[in-house]
Amino acid sequence: MSNAGDSSPAGCGAPAGGIKVTAGTGSQAVVQGHVTRSGTPVPSGYARLLNADGEFVAEVPLGDDGGFTFYAAPGDWRLRVLAPGGVQAERAVTASTGAITEIEVAV
Amino acid sequence: MSRSDALVDAAWVEAHLDDPGVVLAEVDEDTSAYDKGHIKGAVKIDWKKDLQDPVRRDFVDQAGFERLLSKRGISNDDTVILYGGNNNWFAAYAYWYFKLYGHDKVKLLDGGRKRWELDSRDMVTDVPIRPATSYHAKEQDRSIRAFRDEVLAAIGSLNLVDVRSPDEFTGRLLAPAHLPQEQAQRGGHVPTAKNVPWSKAAEEDGTFKSNEALVALYRDETGLDFAKDTIAYCRIGERSAHTWFVLHELLDQPNVKNYDGSWTEYGSLVGVPIELGDGK
Repeated sequence: MSNAGDSSPAGCGAPAGGIKVTAGTGSQAVVQGHVTRSGTPVPSGYARLLNADGEFVAEVPLGDDGGFTFYAAPGDWRLRVLAPGGVQAERAVTASTGAITEIEVAV
Repeated sequence: MSRSDALVDAAWVEAHLDDPGVVLAEVDEDTSAYDKGHIKGAVKIDWKKDLQDPVRRDFVDQAGFERLLSKRGISNDDTVILYGGNNNWFAAYAYWYFKLYGHDKVKLLDGGRKRWELDSRDMVTDVPIRPATSYHAKEQDRSIRAFRDEVLAAIGSLNLVDVRSPDEFTGRLLAPAHLPQEQAQRGGHVPTAKNVPWSKAAEEDGTFKSNEALVALYRDETGLDFAKDTIAYCRIGERSAHTWFVLHELLDQPNVKNYDGSWTEYGSLVGVPIELGDGK
């Protein structure tokens, strides 16, 4: 966990916004970004990572800055956003080992 | 036990928020969520600090559970409504824990914190003050808790349900993808386990699917033999508490255990069999 923020290996939960990458990605394949509405962060909502078959993989509540971070494996994924008021959005994303794939979602 | 005994919806909670004898409790691993806003009157239970032994890998014991509930102002006669983030994983874990220590009047809020937030329902930051009680817990009900030897003995004979994502089940990921992928244990799953991710039992908003859809999922699509005993596991036992809740509380299956040691224990054991890939 040397390159990630405060997290416990005993835990399994998703803190708001996910665990931010604070240094190099090492062997991680990171997908991260922000959700905005008219340029303003959406702080209340959820980002879901689905695999290429559309199966659920993980979910984080959006951070105060509308941010989310996932640690995936290399390959194709789908990112899905849910927010109050029935707001939904979905984007395709490809993750690579040792890279941070940035994805900005405007809803 | 039936669905209506185990589950309440948001409208019910809004109507009974101020009832004496009803206590709401938010259960999270990341309790900063509670601090930013929670349902009016809800007390906070921290999954790790309040429910885990600080030294050994185990639960707080009977006396520790009594101290916790007494301090939170929960009495033996109260109806406790649990909810939380992560699609109610930790709330379901706490529900299992309340049952383990013999508290019968406990229910989950369907959809947990997520549905409540997506519906834009009221949240407050006021922390309620509840007078302390003298709570009495029962001995642990071991009929709903599985240990590692039971899991090994169940290979090829009982229903083993691995509720992690397909990517963790096959060994592609070692943890849920919201966590860094560095863990001590090996990847894979217990041989003969069937992979039914917890998320298949829930709608996108975190509410549980109908009983008809759940029976179709576990019995018809997965081939779970409802005549046999079942052990559910995940990585640390909280997602499998969600599935235990579905099978034991919503579908009223009699012999279902949660293996709280789960993959972080099993995947670190020396010499046990591990299966990789999609399973059989």
